[in-house]
Amino acid sequence: MGPATLGGRSIFTGPKTNLILGLAITVFALALVFVWIPLDTDTGLVEKVRRQVTIGDSLAPTVAGLFLLIGGGLLMLFERNAPDQRELAISSLGFIGVLVALIALSLLVMRFTGPALVAVVNMAFDSSLEYRLLRDSVPWKYAGYFIGGTVLLTGMISLVEGRVGRRTVLIAVAAVIVLIAIYDLPFDDLLLPPNGDV
Amino acid sequence: MNRFVTAALAAVFSGMMAVSAIAADWTPPGPIKLMIAFRAGGGADTQARLIAEALASKLGWKFIPEQVTGKGGLNMAAALKDQPNDGTAIGMGVTETFGYNMAAAPNAGLKPSDFTGLTTTAGFQMGVVSLASKGWNSFDDVVAAAKGGEQLRFGVMSPRLADLAYLLGKAQGIDFNIVSVKGGKAVMDGVNAGDLDLGFMAGIQAKGVAAGDLVNLASALSTPLTQTPDAPTFADLGVEYDSDGYFVFVGPAGMPADARDALASAIAEVAADEASKAGGIIKKAFGGAATITGDELTALLEAGYSSAGQLMEVASQ
Amino acid sequence: MDTLDYIVLGIAAVFQGPELFSLFGLPVSVTLVMIVFGFLSGIVVGATPGLAGPVAMAIALPILISTFGYTPDALLPVMGFLIGVMKGATVGGAVPAILFNTPGTPDAFMTTLDGYPMTRKGQARKALRVAHFSSVSGDTFSDVVLIVCAPFLALLVEGYLDLPEKTALLILSLSFIAAVIGGSPAKGLISVGLGLLAVFIGTGEDFYPRLSFGTEELSRGFPIATAILGILIVSAVFKELEELWREKRASGVIAPVAETGDQRLRFADIRALFPYIARSSVIGTAIGALPGIGSTLAATLGYTVGRSRYEKTKTDGDTEFGKGAPEGVAATEAANSSVSGANLIPVLSLGIPGNAAAVFLILAAESIGGFNPGPSVFRFTSDTVNPELVIAFGLFTSMFIANALNWTVGGLFMRSMGVMIRVPKQILLPIVLLLTLTAIYVQETRMVAIWFTLGFGVVGYFMRSVGISPLPFVIAFILGGKLEETARQAFAATGGDPFFLFNHPIALVFMVLSAAVIVFTTRKSREPG
Repeated sequence: MGPATLGGRSIFTGPKTNLILGLAITVFALALVFVWIPLDTDTGLVEKVRRQVTIGDSLAPTVAGLFLLIGGGLLMLFERNAPDQRELAISSLGFIGVLVALIALSLLVMRFTGPALVAVVNMAFDSSLEYRLLRDSVPWKYAGYFIGGTVLLTGMISLVEGRVGRRTVLIAVAAVIVLIAIYDLPFDDLLLPPNGDV
Repeated sequence: MNRFVTAALAAVFSGMMAVSAIAADWTPPGPIKLMIAFRAGGGADTQARLIAEALASKLGWKFIPEQVTGKGGLNMAAALKDQPNDGTAIGMGVTETFGYNMAAAPNAGLKPSDFTGLTTTAGFQMGVVSLASKGWNSFDDVVAAAKGGEQLRFGVMSPRLADLAYLLGKAQGIDFNIVSVKGGKAVMDGVNAGDLDLGFMAGIQAKGVAAGDLVNLASALSTPLTQTPDAPTFADLGVEYDSDGYFVFVGPAGMPADARDALASAIAEVAADEASKAGGIIKKAFGGAATITGDELTALLEAGYSSAGQLMEVASQ
Repeated sequence: MDTLDYIVLGIAAVFQGPELFSLFGLPVSVTLVMIVFGFLSGIVVGATPGLAGPVAMAIALPILISTFGYTPDALLPVMGFLIGVMKGATVGGAVPAILFNTPGTPDAFMTTLDGYPMTRKGQARKALRVAHFSSVSGDTFSDVVLIVCAPFLALLVEGYLDLPEKTALLILSLSFIAAVIGGSPAKGLISVGLGLLAVFIGTGEDFYPRLSFGTEELSRGFPIATAILGILIVSAVFKELEELWREKRASGVIAPVAETGDQRLRFADIRALFPYIARSSVIGTAIGALPGIGSTLAATLGYTVGRSRYEKTKTDGDTEFGKGAPEGVAATEAANSSVSGANLIPVLSLGIPGNAAAVFLILAAESIGGFNPGPSVFRFTSDTVNPELVIAFGLFTSMFIANALNWTVGGLFMRSMGVMIRVPKQILLPIVLLLTLTAIYVQETRMVAIWFTLGFGVVGYFMRSVGISPLPFVIAFILGGKLEETARQAFAATGGDPFFLFNHPIALVFMVLSAAVIVFTTRKSREPG
C-alpha cells in the first residue's frame, strides 16, 4: 500500500500524525464522557430498581470512552515519535469527497426516480397512481434501482478511469441487470432499494 | 382479579366464530408491509412469516415481511405509527408492548390508541422454569433453597417480568437476583448453561419439559399451564398480578373497518387452523390459537396500558 | 444402545433418509443432495465479494423450511445444507480476500495480509491453493476434535466459567485484540473504543435509545451488517479505488497483474506449511470450543503465532509476513477454518453459538423442532433410542461428507472462481460496492441502512489512512453488545457486587492478563526497531 503523500501537500507536517490524532481522540473522548453521554442517556452509570442496584445505560458507552481516552493518551505519550506514521494527503480528501458525493447523488437518484416517474405519468395521463402501491410491480419496482445503479457504476468507473465511455455505460447497465436477476427474480419477498421504505 | 382479561378469554372462541363469518371482499390496494418485532428466524418470526405465506397463497395478498426489533417492540410500534392506515402496513408484536412498555416509556409518545388492533394469535404459556437436574419438583423447593441461604438467579426478558419476579420473591419472603436477558431463548440458554437458576419462558420450554430436561415450577398466568396443569399460578403464590399476554397483529390508528375486519379474520383463521404450518407451530408451542379481535382487542390493549402503572408502582416499593 | 450403535444410526440417517432419485440403482438421499448443493453454493457465495455464508443462510433458511416442513425428517436435509454452506463459504471466503483485497468476513481480513501481496506478485492461484489446503486441513482436524470431545469438553468449560468469568474473558479478548492487531496498542484501543461506541448507540436496556440525539434513524442502533460491511468492505473499496486513481494519474494506465512462476502446490510446499497449519488448527479448535469467541480471534491468533515462529526460522531472502508469505495465508486459513467444527461443541451440548453459522444451525433446529440443542443431546441412553443423539451423529456425518467434497472437488471449484481476477478492478470494485449496498438493503429494507454503511465506509477509510486497523473496530462491534449484556447479568447475578470482576479467581486472572497485554505491547512498541 503506497504512502498517502503521493498526491502532494500533506496536512500533517512530518511525523506529527500520531500527536494530532491522539489529541483529537482525547478531546472527543472527554466530550463523549462528560457531555454527550450525560445529555443523551436516560439512566446513569448504575441505577436502583426493585431494591436492586443494576447497571445503567451510561456505563457501557463510558467504557468505550475510556478505551478511546487510554488509546489517545498512549498515542500522545508513548507513540508520538513512532517511526512509521502515515500522512493524510489533501488530494486524498479531494478524491474521497468527490467519490462520496457521487455515491450520494446516485442514491438520491435511486430513491426518487420511481416516484418522479409516477408523477410524470400522472401528469401525462391524468391518472392518480401512487408509487408506494406500485413498488412491487414491474416495471416500476426496477426504475429507481436500474437508473440509480447505472449512474453509480458509470460514475465510479469513469472517475477512476478519468473518462466516460459508451462501453462503461454498457458494462454498468449489464451489471445492474445481473444484480436485479440475483436479488429480485428468485425471491418473492426481497425488495430492491428503495422499495422497502417508500 | 382482572375481570376484563377473564372476559376476553371467554370471548376467544366466540370471537373466532364471529370473525370468520365476515366475508372478505376487501383487497389490499398494494403490497402489505409486515413489520415483525422479533429477531429473524426465531419462533415468533417464523409464526409471522408463515401466517403471511398462508395468506399469500390463500388470498393472493402480497406481504413484505421486515424485521423491526428492539426496545420491547417499541421500535416496531414507532415505525408503524406513521405508516399509511389503508391496510398496507401492519405489525406483529406482543400485547405487553402496547401495555406496560408504552406506559413505562412516556417520552416515546406512544399510546395504544395510536394503533388499530387486528387480532391476537396465541397466548403465552408463561412458566417459571428450571432445569430438572436442579432437583426442584415444586415452587416450594425453590423457596426452601432460597431460605436455606442459596442465592438464586431469576432470568427475565422484559421489565414487566422483572417486576413480577420481584413481587413473586416478595410474596414468598425471599430475594431473587433478577437477571435481565434478551428474549426467552436467552433465558433458556442461561438456564441450560447453569448461569441462571430459574426464569420465565413463554412456550419455548415445551419441548424441554416434554423431554424431562426442564420443569415448569409455576404458571405466571392467571390460569394453569396447559402442559403442567398442577403447577401453582401466581395468584396461588400470593402475587396479584400475572403475565398474561398474546402475540398480536396491529395496524396504524384509524384503519377503515373493512380493511381491519378482512385482515383480522384472515389472520385469525390461519392461526386457528392447525392443519396450516402456522397453526401447527402455534399448537406445538402454545397449545393452540387464542384469537381476540375487534372491540375486545381494543379494550384489552387499553386495559394493559392503563393498568401498567399500578404494577410499576407496587414493584417500585 | 452404545456409542457405536448411535454412530451407525447417525450415518444411516443421512444416507437412508428420504430418497430423492437413484443413481445407477443406488438410492440418493435428499440429505446428501442438500449437502452437495449447500457446499457448492457456499463456495460461490463465499467467493463473491460482499457476500458471506451467513447471508446465504439467512436467505436460504426460510425457503428450506418452507420446502421441507416442520417434521424431524427435515432436520438433516436443512442442517446438511447449512453445514455445506458453512464449509463452502469458509474456503470460498479466501477468494475475494486473496484476489481483490476485499475480505467478505472479518476473519478473512488476515488472509488479505499475505494473500493479496501474493496476487500482486503474480501468485494468485498458488495463494488460492495454499488457502484451500490449509483451510480443509484445519476444518477436518476440527471436526475430528468435535466428535471426540463434544460430549465432555464443552460441559467442562462451561462448568468453570460463570457470568463474571465470561465478562472478564470478553474484556480480555478485546484488550488482546487491541494490543496485537496492527502493531500499535494505542491505535488498537482507539479502534476498539470506536467500535464499542458505535454498537452502544441506540441500544441499551432503557426505553430511551441512548446517544441517538432523539432521532428515529439512530433509535434502532446500527444494524450489524452496516458496520461490518461498511468498515471492512466499503472502506477497502474506497482505498483501492483511490490507489487505482493515483496509479492512473501517475502513469496514465492501470496495469493488470500477470501470473508469474510456479502456481502449483508441491509436496515441499506442504511440508514447509505443515507446522503453521498444525499450530493454527490447534489454536482455532481451542478457541472454537469456547462459547462466544469466534473465528476472527482464531485467525488473528493463528496469524500472530505463525508470524512469530516465522521470524525465528526464516532465512534471508524469504518473503516477510505481510508481504506475501504463503505461510501467512496458511496460518490464517487453517485457524479460521478450524473454528467451525469446534464451534459446534457448545452449540450442540449447550445451545450457545460462537459464530454466525452456528446461530443459523440453532435457528434451524429451533424452527423445525425435534432437536433441542442442550445437555439432553449427549445423553447416551441404554434402553431407548435418544433421537437427538442420532441427529447429532447425523450432523457429524454430514460434516464429513462436506469435508470429503471439499478435499476432492472443492479446490478446483474454488479456483474456478478465480476467473474473476480477469475483470478489471476499476469495474469490479464499484460493482462490489453496489452489491454490498444492495445486500444490506435487502436485509434491512431501509435507505438509512445504506447511508450508515456509506458512513462506516468513510470512517474505515480514514482509519486505514492514518494507520488504524479496522479489524478491532469490527470485533468490538460484534462483542460489545455481548459484553454489556454479560456484565449486566453478572452484576445482577452476584447481587450487585461492584467487584465481581476481581473477586472470582479466574475472572481476576483474565483481568490481570487484560492489563498486562496492553502494558507489555506498549513497552515493546517503544523499543527501537
